[in-house]
Amino acid sequence: MLNFKITRRAFLQASAATTAAAAASPKLLRAMETELGGKDFNPVGYSERKAIPITCHVCNIQDGALAYVENGRIVKLEGNPEHVSTRGRLCAKGNSGMWYSYDPDRILYPLKRVGARGEGKWKRITWDEALTEIAQKLDAALKQDPNSIMLKYGRNRSGGVVDRFMNTLGSATVMNHTSVCESSKKVGMEPTWGPDIETPDFANAKYILNFGSNIMEAAYFHNPYSQRLADGMADNKAKLVTFDVRLSNTAGRSDEWIPVFPGTDGAVALALGHVILRDDLQDSDFIETWTNVTVAELKEHYQQFTPEWAEKLSGVPAATIERIAREFATTKPATTYTYRGPAKHLYGSYNEKATMMLPIMTGNIEVRGGYCMPRGMGWPQPQPEPPKPAKPSWIADHPDYPLAHHKVSHLTPFWIAEGKQKINVYFSYQDNAVYTNPGSDAVWGKLYRDEKLIPFYVCMTPFMGEEATLADIILPDCPYLERWEPESMPNSLWPWLGIRQPVIKSLGESRENRIMMRDIIHKLDPDGKRGMKKYWDFKDGEDYMRHHFDNVPGLKEAGGLNFLKKHGVWPIYGKLDPATGKIVDKTGREIQPEYGLHKKELSAADMTGAVVEKNGAIMKNGKAVGVQRKGKNYAGFPTHDRIINVRVDEWAEYGFNPMPTFKQIPWHRTMRDDEMILTTYKINVHKQSRTSAVKWLAEIMHSNPVWLNTETGKKLGIKTGDLVRVESAVGYLVTKAYVFEGIHPKVAAISTAFGHWAYGRLAQLKLKTEKGGAWGAQDDPDLNNVWWEDKGVHPNQIIPVVADPIGGSQGWYDTVVKVTKAGPNDKYGDVKASWEKHVEAFKETMRYAYTGDLHRKMHPEMASWGGPGSVKHKEGGGH
Amino acid sequence: MQNQNAVLIEPMEDSLSPLELRARAGYYQLLAGAFAEEPGCDYLAALRAPEAMAALVDLGFQFDADFTGVPLDELQDTLACEYATLFTTSGGCPPVESSRLTGRFQQEPFHDVKAIYQHCGFALQPGKFAVFEDQLGVELSFVAALLENQAAALESGDMATVKRLEKEVKRFWATHLGRWVRGYATLLARATEHSFYREIARLLRDFAEAELALLKVRVDDVDGGREVVPKSEIEVLFNPDEPVCGGCEHGKTQNGAYA
Ligand code: SF4
Repeated sequence: MLNFKITRRAFLQASAATTAAAAASPKLLRAMETELGGKDFNPVGYSERKAIPITCHVCNIQDGALAYVENGRIVKLEGNPEHVSTRGRLCAKGNSGMWYSYDPDRILYPLKRVGARGEGKWKRITWDEALTEIAQKLDAALKQDPNSIMLKYGRNRSGGVVDRFMNTLGSATVMNHTSVCESSKKVGMEPTWGPDIETPDFANAKYILNFGSNIMEAAYFHNPYSQRLADGMADNKAKLVTFDVRLSNTAGRSDEWIPVFPGTDGAVALALGHVILRDDLQDSDFIETWTNVTVAELKEHYQQFTPEWAEKLSGVPAATIERIAREFATTKPATTYTYRGPAKHLYGSYNEKATMMLPIMTGNIEVRGGYCMPRGMGWPQPQPEPPKPAKPSWIADHPDYPLAHHKVSHLTPFWIAEGKQKINVYFSYQDNAVYTNPGSDAVWGKLYRDEKLIPFYVCMTPFMGEEATLADIILPDCPYLERWEPESMPNSLWPWLGIRQPVIKSLGESRENRIMMRDIIHKLDPDGKRGMKKYWDFKDGEDYMRHHFDNVPGLKEAGGLNFLKKHGVWPIYGKLDPATGKIVDKTGREIQPEYGLHKKELSAADMTGAVVEKNGAIMKNGKAVGVQRKGKNYAGFPTHDRIINVRVDEWAEYGFNPMPTFKQIPWHRTMRDDEMILTTYKINVHKQSRTSAVKWLAEIMHSNPVWLNTETGKKLGIKTGDLVRVESAVGYLVTKAYVFEGIHPKVAAISTAFGHWAYGRLAQLKLKTEKGGAWGAQDDPDLNNVWWEDKGVHPNQIIPVVADPIGGSQGWYDTVVKVTKAGPNDKYGDVKASWEKHVEAFKETMRYAYTGDLHRKMHPEMASWGGPGSVKHKEGGGH
Repeated sequence: MQNQNAVLIEPMEDSLSPLELRARAGYYQLLAGAFAEEPGCDYLAALRAPEAMAALVDLGFQFDADFTGVPLDELQDTLACEYATLFTTSGGCPPVESSRLTGRFQQEPFHDVKAIYQHCGFALQPGKFAVFEDQLGVELSFVAALLENQAAALESGDMATVKRLEKEVKRFWATHLGRWVRGYATLLARATEHSFYREIARLLRDFAEAELALLKVRVDDVDGGREVVPKSEIEVLFNPDEPVCGGCEHGKTQNGAYA
């Protein structure tokens, strides 16, 4: 036997000398994690699993994903490494998506209500029976008024199918969910620069001001953006400053978290602008060239917004505002980002406008590392297309909210109750308004239960959500892994087209949206005599996709739909570098996006027949197609005059301030000492309403105590774990407290996603209490081990409606509450709210509409406005 | 995961007559009728026939007036609602093996039984509603069909087929039905509010026990619906208050000495 006498020291010495040889030795193993991106293997037999590219749709970020299928089962989901935005990574929710398909609480057959609404008594019926009944009701409704057929959708990624369906029926009564989402952000931005969202170039920025967006865990587009934010902060040493009422995971990972009083981000942004303009730190050339105001006008306008004024409103020290303003203006490139924080308030549109002024006045628009326009791609619709409905719908084109082009859906129940629009048939598509909207069951539950207001309710959903429990007929929709859908989302600086394709055959008798809607129309117009059937002439989902994708220039040459079926996304910009996690070109360099879209020069062909107006707008066929600046013909911004409208004249027509401004929420001004603002938020492992029954996610997080600041806790005598009562003007709830430093002392925060009273046994923890609710599931250690007893408490019932009179958004973060120790009769999970009190809140918020009595009072600076009678009404219709 | 539980298959002592095989097939089919889809009027009428009722009573199954005393149409309607509540709406207990054993639809048992049907020359044909291959009604119908074929083979003297089919039935019990129907039947009897499903569940459970005994298959039922014995009913063979050792506080006597 050989006996080497080598000590550890000798080994170490020798290793120094042999390092070079070790480095030159071939490496035959690499970490599987990076090497195997795009591939997956059975851990026992090592056989390769089939990878099918899709677009994730657990939430609406629309990341590119791969579904691995083995023996007909979806066994794993991961990021598509060919997807330019996703770069091969999914979040926890995206990894869990297959549980939607296999959820044993999933609805697999059409169901018809047999008891009273909401009683929970159902009968399974055949598709033919369901379609026949629906067609009969539609036929009767069409004879009365097509607009009495209403459809409200929540998450609609059908690529135009829902609109086609309603246009075929001739009804304009289509409501969305945007007003409970981010409509005032959209409306704050659109008239100013065109797009409804910005694409910040985080990866190349040096300074980032984040207003109320939880970008690292929940905001739009958190998966691709948090990657870019990490790139920017790690590689580019970018500074991230977050203004938020709460120490979110984003605030916690920022260089600075600056707590603000709810709804005052706009004031802070204006004060930052004040300092920038006062100290002459603005980009004058950009302002003079690309906006409709001069530097002088802007300086004068901003004089009023001093840091001291903002400090009084927001609590942010004037010195901090001074410092941040100078840092932001002098560190180039820089960008802002916002999400719901500033926008979900009574005057959310003003807040959004105020924040977007910062990159505008510093010339950080459309530059590398700056605040860029979104890049997206479209697709053609199958022909022929039904015409738009002949008559506008009262609730969809509401006369009191003419600027809210994304509608004011959350006020619908009150308008229907007031008899503003008669509804005969009500469809909901992936829309659990009973859970997600302000007022929740006290408002939407009340509406859906009332057979006089909603005589016939058809719910299209795969799950028995709170809304579905109140339906007359439930049509089993497919979860996303069983659907065909076209996709494009501006979730990075590279535009792409993508696809969702069925990974497995749909379970039971569920049908995807376009098939369901086609079948309804075919039943209503079997021989085509009504002129409807011709718009629904396709074989299946795949056939429909061919109409979308086989003739898109560029994609067509690459193979059209077949290319997308194989890759999931087009174009493929480069290869994912496993070492850096970035997309690189053939030379190994990271691919670069295109900047300066507004500076794209028009071609001679574009200019043929065009006329240049005095203000530089290049007009063709009655439309501005570009703008002339410094002798050059540019594409400009997609606004009516192709420049940035700092002054939005349309707002002034309705008595709103056309310039950047801020309005303090009147009831926040008069808050008493023992009152606070209730705010809600989303977390990284759940979306708003549809993930509580996903077992992996439910296990990670399943309850939502109310966050309170330590100081507040002390004052109220409340400790972590104490039972507390949170009471607003419309109701109260009883929950547990979580007391810590990470929240503004005047704020109480409760996350959404929990406290379901429907949605299946895991969401409701029904398996713990009901005799038929047991899972079985001995082979599934996860389900066999539901160790938690707490399903959380849902806050929406006690949140009254508030509508931004400009953008129409719900004021989610405007509710004044009192938090007290729970009384002897209070039980954890108690929630009480009253319809009557919600109606009072509705009436109150209508007073702020441009037709309301408080509008003028809130706008003394618009004293010369001629009042609602002076407004020339335009044709309705959204963007 | 699927075959980890204990399974013991012993040879059967006696071969059965075609008559007995068909009688057993009849039970399988009878039970399948309650689960495959909402029970139809013909099925219910046949079950409510005096001879059938009497036979079931003799076996110890007692249906209440909600089954025996209502007009047929009304019964059919009531049971359709009960079927939906129990099996096709959220929060119920779908009679589907994958769902019972893995907590989700269309998992290993689904793919496995599908392959078995195929191997035995069967394919699921669409009924009024699409059902999973591992739905209880389908699994029971499958065994019924095997037994019918076994009876026919016995009549024609094809003993090789008889033996093959006998093995097939045993294997199916050992790998599928035996793993979940007894536990599931226990749960169903608890969950239903109608005497029809209560008694059918009891019949299913008793029949499953009898079949397993007859087939000499011993397999653990791992369905989560297995009866949970209340603690109060557990007989302990030792005094739990008796000190076990002197190493802990529990074992100390009052004066601090160790017992
Ligand atoms: S963020 Fe997560 S859930 Fe949303 S699309 Fe991306 S991977 Fe899917």
